[in-house]
Amino acid sequence: MSHLGEQISALVDGELNGAELDRANAHLATCEQCRAEAAELRQLKRELRALAAPPAAGKADGHASPAEAADALTRRLLAMAGPGGPVPSRGLRREQHARDRHHGKLPRGGRPPRGRTGMRASERPPADGQPYSRRRPGGTSGETRRRGRYMLWSAVSIVVVGIGAAAFSMGGSTAEPGPKITPQLEMFSVEHALTFGDVPFPDPTQVPAGATKP
Amino acid sequence: MSLLRRPGLLLSAAVTLTVPGVLAALAVLGHEHAAFEARSEAVSLGSSAPPASMPVESLSAAAVPAKPAAGSAAIQKVAAEMEKISGVHAAAFGAAVNPQQALGMRLLSKSAAAGLTTSYQGVELIAQSGVDGAVTMISDVWHQGRGLTVTQTSDAGMVSSSQPYVSYDVDNHSPEGVFGVTKTLVALLGKHYAAAYRGTGVALGRPALVVELDRANGSLAARFWLDRQTLVPLRRDVYDTSARLVSEDAFVQVQFGALTAPPAGAAAASASAPARSAWSKVTVPASLLAQVNGQGWRLPGALPGGLSLYAAAQGKTSAGEVADLGYSDGLSVISLFVQRGTLAPKMSGWQAVNVSGHLVYVAGHSITWAGRGLVYTMIADAPPQTVQAVVAALPGNTAPGFLVRIGRGLDRLATLVNPFR
Repeated sequence: MSHLGEQISALVDGELNGAELDRANAHLATCEQCRAEAAELRQLKRELRALAAPPAAGKADGHASPAEAADALTRRLLAMAGPGGPVPSRGLRREQHARDRHHGKLPRGGRPPRGRTGMRASERPPADGQPYSRRRPGGTSGETRRRGRYMLWSAVSIVVVGIGAAAFSMGGSTAEPGPKITPQLEMFSVEHALTFGDVPFPDPTQVPAGATKP
Repeated sequence: MSLLRRPGLLLSAAVTLTVPGVLAALAVLGHEHAAFEARSEAVSLGSSAPPASMPVESLSAAAVPAKPAAGSAAIQKVAAEMEKISGVHAAAFGAAVNPQQALGMRLLSKSAAAGLTTSYQGVELIAQSGVDGAVTMISDVWHQGRGLTVTQTSDAGMVSSSQPYVSYDVDNHSPEGVFGVTKTLVALLGKHYAAAYRGTGVALGRPALVVELDRANGSLAARFWLDRQTLVPLRRDVYDTSARLVSEDAFVQVQFGALTAPPAGAAAASASAPARSAWSKVTVPASLLAQVNGQGWRLPGALPGGLSLYAAAQGKTSAGEVADLGYSDGLSVISLFVQRGTLAPKMSGWQAVNVSGHLVYVAGHSITWAGRGLVYTMIADAPPQTVQAVVAALPGNTAPGFLVRIGRGLDRLATLVNPFR
């Protein structure tokens, strides 16, 4: 007696019909090994579905289409890859956009985001005015955030240091109001002499005509 | 965008922005510090002995120290002699007072009066330790008893006053005196110093009576040689608290009694109304102090070193009103001239010096600086330590702290970019 072999996965996937299905079922009734294998496969398939279930669970009909499940699974796997992970291929992005439009996530006339060569998906201008990363969990959004923070801090420190240096250089000299004064020493010395009985002295800052300092 | 992400480019952008700012700041700072420290090395503020240029030796030869007048017999003898000379009754001082001290104070009072009433003419040499080195002046003095005084001073032969200075002691109340020995200052002396007669000596070849002033702790503050015949001071030496000679004023030539004609130019100078007319004396100095402090000037009623407010006057200059506050303890005198404004950007003839952390300008024994919108000009006949303490006690233009400077700069930046101003 030969076992089902590869037919088990076709059976589990519901791809058998007619005589093939009857034969497979008859074999399963008698072969415990194939029954166990089929049960294991079903269990695995259920678990894979469960992984993709949450987005689909909210749906009104309670059933997620296989395509949706696969899509959800892809997105979750991408999210698990974390920052700096693999970039979705252009083909995948196109497929996803097509699906988004199909599910009404994009306006009908919305053009697929097209970027310049070398530009990352996360930096494309969003077609609907929403930040792309919001619509797409995962991808390179963590890296982007970190880069943004780095640039912000750099800009802030440059501005602060620049303004500080300018303020420091401008705050040096005192520009106080009032007349600019050169003390009238001769007048002061006469007053000093009269107050205290000293001899008045000449203003050493003034050199009268005819007198020269050696 | 993608360019900015490169750390290398970011770094160069930061450097490009920051370096010019920092360089500008350094340039401004450096400029200020250069002025500030220009002479700080050359100045030793009272930390060394009087500079060698001070003619201590030459003058000392003229004055012979007092022979001690110890012993009551000697005192009695001198007292009797003094009675003969000046009419002072030493016995009347009472037994409770040290006769030497009573006689010393009495002699100084008599000397102050003699400086006014005696006619004399001669040459005075005035040498002081200032905060910026020694200051030496030579002054020709011509004084008629109870009358005209003519002085013409030159700054150690370098700069001569443009014209003789003439004053009249018309009311006999003017504090004119010789070497600061005036009636009012002698009265003030008694509160801070003990004056004692120390015996006889010789000054300028003339017999003299020596009187010493001691501080409360017993250290010598000053020594006077009074002419035995006329009691006019012939010489005065002043010592700081470290017993260093900080000032010596002496006649290097004197003649009493018969006078020659007044120096040429005196009449002309007299006619051209002396600068005194620019000042109006305030009878109660504290009232002027209260008045200017009411305008937020914050001037003190007493200065460090026991100098109390002694006289005040108001004057007018081309730059506005000036308040003159005179502080003294009877021996040291300081005139503080305060006016609103700031110092001129170029202070030609003045030396920038750092005194007590303040940037000040020194010329002779005058010091000027600006602080909080006021300009202070101080003429001091006081030990350098006292001058330093006074400068430190008054507002000055100390370099602003880092935060103050940044704050002020931000203020100015804000004013610059404010579109509504």
